[in-house]
Amino acid sequence: MEHNPILVIGAGPAGLEAARGAADLGYKTLLVEKAPVLGGNPILADYAAITPDMENAERAMKRMIDAIIEDPLVEVRSETTVTAAAGDAPEITVTLAGPKGEEQITVGSVIVCTGFQHFDPGRETQMYGYYEYDDVITLVDCERMLKAENFVQPSTGDKPKRVCFIQCVGSRDRQIGNFWCSKVCCGIACKEAIEIREMVPDCQVFVFYIDMRMYGFWEDEIYWKAQEDHKVNFIRGIVTEITKRGDQVVIKGEDTTMGRPVEVPMDVVILSVGMEPSEGTTETAEIFQMPLESHGFIETVGGALNTVTTARPGCFAAGASTGPADLEDSISMAGAAVMKAAGFLRKHTLAASKSV
Amino acid sequence: MPLTILNNQLGGVPPKAKDRVFDRKGKKPEHYYRDQLFELEEKGELVVHRIAEEQDAVEIETKYGRKKKVPRDMTWHHKSCGQCGHIPGYSTSIFWLLRELGYTYEDPRDQTSCTAWNYYASSTSNPAAQAAVALRNFAQAYEDGYYPIIHCGTSYGHYKEVREELIHHPKLRDQTKRVMDKLGKPMVFPEEIVHYSEWVHVMRDAIAEHQTLDFSDITVTVHPACHYHKLVVEDAVYDKELYDGQRTAVVSSLVKALGANLADYSTWHDCCGFGFRHILVSRDFSRSFATIRKIERMKEEANPDVTLTHDTGCVTTLDKSQFAAKAHGRNVGIPVMSDAQFAALAMGAHPYKICQLHWHGVDNRPLMEKMGIDHEAAWTEFEEIAAKVKSGEIEYMSWEDC
Repeated sequence: MEHNPILVIGAGPAGLEAARGAADLGYKTLLVEKAPVLGGNPILADYAAITPDMENAERAMKRMIDAIIEDPLVEVRSETTVTAAAGDAPEITVTLAGPKGEEQITVGSVIVCTGFQHFDPGRETQMYGYYEYDDVITLVDCERMLKAENFVQPSTGDKPKRVCFIQCVGSRDRQIGNFWCSKVCCGIACKEAIEIREMVPDCQVFVFYIDMRMYGFWEDEIYWKAQEDHKVNFIRGIVTEITKRGDQVVIKGEDTTMGRPVEVPMDVVILSVGMEPSEGTTETAEIFQMPLESHGFIETVGGALNTVTTARPGCFAAGASTGPADLEDSISMAGAAVMKAAGFLRKHTLAASKSV
Repeated sequence: MPLTILNNQLGGVPPKAKDRVFDRKGKKPEHYYRDQLFELEEKGELVVHRIAEEQDAVEIETKYGRKKKVPRDMTWHHKSCGQCGHIPGYSTSIFWLLRELGYTYEDPRDQTSCTAWNYYASSTSNPAAQAAVALRNFAQAYEDGYYPIIHCGTSYGHYKEVREELIHHPKLRDQTKRVMDKLGKPMVFPEEIVHYSEWVHVMRDAIAEHQTLDFSDITVTVHPACHYHKLVVEDAVYDKELYDGQRTAVVSSLVKALGANLADYSTWHDCCGFGFRHILVSRDFSRSFATIRKIERMKEEANPDVTLTHDTGCVTTLDKSQFAAKAHGRNVGIPVMSDAQFAALAMGAHPYKICQLHWHGVDNRPLMEKMGIDHEAAWTEFEEIAAKVKSGEIEYMSWEDC
């Protein structure tokens, strides 16, 4: 069956899986990525290990990339963005801007996998001092150190003795307009806490949380493991402020279990930053005239039973472009999106052949 | 396709804070009260008092990136009960700055108290009474043809809460309208609620141009008022040039503009100790907090010549709590004043006739000496005027005597 290729936008985990799935089903696929490398946030933000498997992130993403890179049905365009789209599926003409200039290509269906961006703690309502104190870092900064197997107090380069995570930074916050739970931060904090304890055994690790959201198997595979096997301390409490006293940062807040204020010096404070729609998600939605849902992610119109279909016929979205998503969600959604895109093209091709 | 590692430099260690560049972007709140006020105006429920062209407004950035208009001219000054009662040089300095910089203003004699202190202390009042007081004052400014500027942090914060309540509660609007009808005044709400320290902030360069004293040897700590930057946070003013846009810019921006040394201390985010309820029912707690958590920390970590703030309760609590701690031999003794008084001193205002530093609790004469002010001569001049008042030669001191 002749058909225009399926366009997959974004080569993070969801995009790579979508491209692999489409090619496995025998569909020509065009994978477009604006960065010079494939792999999305796990590669661009230097993740150490993926959650919850704890597999080396680089190795895991390489496996996904290897699955498509030699496939003759997949054409990969890196450093390339979609700048315009005209017409309706299965005849959408997209304009691509890449290293060799602009080019127009007609595609049959579109799968948007443009993902999320990490919340910038500079916009946080609480006074966390990310831009003031060297030793206040984010989950992403922590990943980089863990990947380099060099977890240190950034201001001194020494091994830290006391480290804490602060949960829900940029998530579940009405003041800044981020009403959602970012889903993965609790699990990632537990994962990083375990890795820190393994890398720096003398370091005490604390997690300050509102409530730990460990759905499914993450409960015993990460959360309990962090507590019971790795002696990570979980404190139900809200930290509202970080200041510096001498060489140490001091966290201030309330231990809501004990019902008393806390003021504790730490060597490193890790802000568990949440997810926001990426610029690529917002721009792509505009180019393809896909409505955004109320939180600013791409709206899917099928409710709980169809998580990938957008309001634009023949256009689908997967992963964190549609809302906070973990890797399991993203990969599953990519598979569902491929099935929908393939089904869409197949129906059109069959209809066209019948009319002939 | 190579799997290049792009970012993992420096062995993974994150960049130093000074190398992290904050660029305000991302999702912004979708609903702004200004739009909601204009919607209510369209429905005929109230009038929005707009900042007019003759008010010569400047736009500045707020916490979440919204532009806030701050009028410079034709301003109506909502004074503060506590300032007038405890720190009279506070308001006088604001008016003196306006006069020296050539701006027209209205100092109303019939403004009422916002009554918010007792509201925050859980002592008196109710939402309808609070809203009616706010609208009564705003209506007066509107009828006078000037734009309201709020001197008091308490009033400023509270009026913003009233705004939220009025926008969202039709019943409260009805109740308030009945009161306003009895007063014969219109339902008016200003498009922006502006604090005087925002006016000082936008005037800081003009103030620096008129500076007559050298402040390069003066070290200053700043206490941002809770009701300014913690209450209805989206209205507070931020500037990328100050603490990377992470702390409110007001007051600190003036210190920098006047060439003084802006010094940091670890408890800058803490309350001054006033705490509304505490100062009324647990005053010793307020005194202890102000001196031990704030003043002593400043002394240990920054040893400033003066600490500046921008609210009535903060100046009062930080300044007038120190005598008790001093009696116990604690490490205190930092003069406290408002940004307006500091700015007026920089421009050559009289320390007693205008800034009225003799009302302050901590000895500020060493500070004045460091600033190059002859406080002995100034006090003699002040006593001469006071003697005229005492003898009945003049009824009170006027601008002409200053």
